[in-house]
Amino acid sequence: MQTNRRIFVSGLASVVSLASSTISFAADGKLIAILTPSHDNPFFKAEAVGAEARAKELGYETIVLVHDDDPNKQSELFDTAIARGASAIILDNAGADATVAAVQRAKDAGIPSFLIDREIKESGIAVSQIVSNNYQGAQLGAEEFVRIMGEEGNYVELVGREADTNAGIRSSGYHDIIDQYTDMVMVAQQSANWSQTEAFEKMESILQANPDIKGVICGNDTMAMGAWAALEGAGRTDVLVVGFDGSNDVRDSILAGGIKATVLQPAYRQAQVAVEQADQYIKTGSTGQKEKQLMDCVLINAENAAKLETFALVE
Amino acid sequence: MRVIGVIPLIVLSLVNAVSGCKVVRNPSPEAKNAAQTDQSDEARMANYAQEIWEPKVLPAVQENLVPLLELRKILDQDIEKAGNAHGLRPEGEANLWNFAVSGTGKIIEAKTKSKAAKLQVDTDADGIADVTVQLGPIIRGTAFRDAMPFINFSDFRDQIEYAKLARAMNDLAHRGITIPEGDVVGQTVTFEGVYTLNNPTDKPEIVPVSVIYGAQ
Repeated sequence: MQTNRRIFVSGLASVVSLASSTISFAADGKLIAILTPSHDNPFFKAEAVGAEARAKELGYETIVLVHDDDPNKQSELFDTAIARGASAIILDNAGADATVAAVQRAKDAGIPSFLIDREIKESGIAVSQIVSNNYQGAQLGAEEFVRIMGEEGNYVELVGREADTNAGIRSSGYHDIIDQYTDMVMVAQQSANWSQTEAFEKMESILQANPDIKGVICGNDTMAMGAWAALEGAGRTDVLVVGFDGSNDVRDSILAGGIKATVLQPAYRQAQVAVEQADQYIKTGSTGQKEKQLMDCVLINAENAAKLETFALVE
Repeated sequence: MRVIGVIPLIVLSLVNAVSGCKVVRNPSPEAKNAAQTDQSDEARMANYAQEIWEPKVLPAVQENLVPLLELRKILDQDIEKAGNAHGLRPEGEANLWNFAVSGTGKIIEAKTKSKAAKLQVDTDADGIADVTVQLGPIIRGTAFRDAMPFINFSDFRDQIEYAKLARAMNDLAHRGITIPEGDVVGQTVTFEGVYTLNNPTDKPEIVPVSVIYGAQ
């Protein structure tokens, strides 16, 4: 199939360059489209802000779009970016499988995509896929969880959205550590779809069925916030909660003695690196990097939480 | 799976009709692995780790081995310099440097009963532990996987598969060493292993390929 694509792409190339040349004069700088899930989650907002700031510094115009984790909406936004003649797309995607077609469509239209935070299930379509080393980060979170639990007790796991590879990888990293401690017993494992409200509701009902829990480990910080709110509401602030992301909300909770730990993903920097690679690709036709790249995560607890600000550690 | 839109297909068929060129399909890269796909990620990666461990991983560690004390001197001056001279990392500035190091020191603290058994070792004779040697079975991090120049994340389906490889390599490292019985605090230990440099002020957390107790 490789051969086929080369033929029709070169066939389309002239059409595309004709189309883009009529648009490009509108903007002196070229356009970078930034697509993320909803900014309700500060993680995605930090990505968008980080990408936008770096793009502007490098002289690009930007459009910032939100797909709300809906692959159909994401597909429409790709059409928008294509129609606007974007020079590159920075994407935190709406599903590892569902996104492949959209990124391919942009590629066919001559627009390179640079993925952050979440992978897609294929290589060779996006130019870069820069993601956090979620496995390494999950190990850090799980180690801390086991440590504060005293290596024993009943616990609950709140998992992220199933269509997202990151939900699976974090859970797998957690269990690679926790399952080796035979006195740690998981009494419930449920998906709260990365959502704070859903985590709140799930936590309330799990707590009713399992009042004897000692800890809750969550696939992200918004779910940790939801779980903590439910525990607080039930007067169960003795339960140890660990999150993942490194949001300012969880930082504040850690400093106030609420949630115990989280794992920082360098989201802000990651978005900036993606823009820098897009810039280099636009200028030279190559990023000089391999497609898939990992950025390591850092454990955040009471010791270093004060240094955390907008998904970065300040020295 | 490659998705091709309707319009490109029409264009393609026109191109074909006009030029009359014959399109030859390349064999899909997935076909080569078809025989392995019925295995779980875990089993497949465990096999792969086992396959490369002795012929490729251990020689790569030996080839890049640098004495810890020597490395520390260069790190104190310039991380990039140390990285370029001795470091191992996947291509790309976003990646952290990994180092294959050798060292000797006095065991200051030993947590040998834990599932994440560790030694705290003083290698510069100031009485303070300056490295952690991870004995496992629970080994933190992905240093082995990330240090290998021939392992490339882009060649793996996703992080899940890639993580299983890291875990399998950590397991092999653990199997290659012994956890001491009894109290080893105060003893001399000599080790070779790999670690990821996160922050130059952090204590290296070395995943060893060899640990020898007692004076050499």
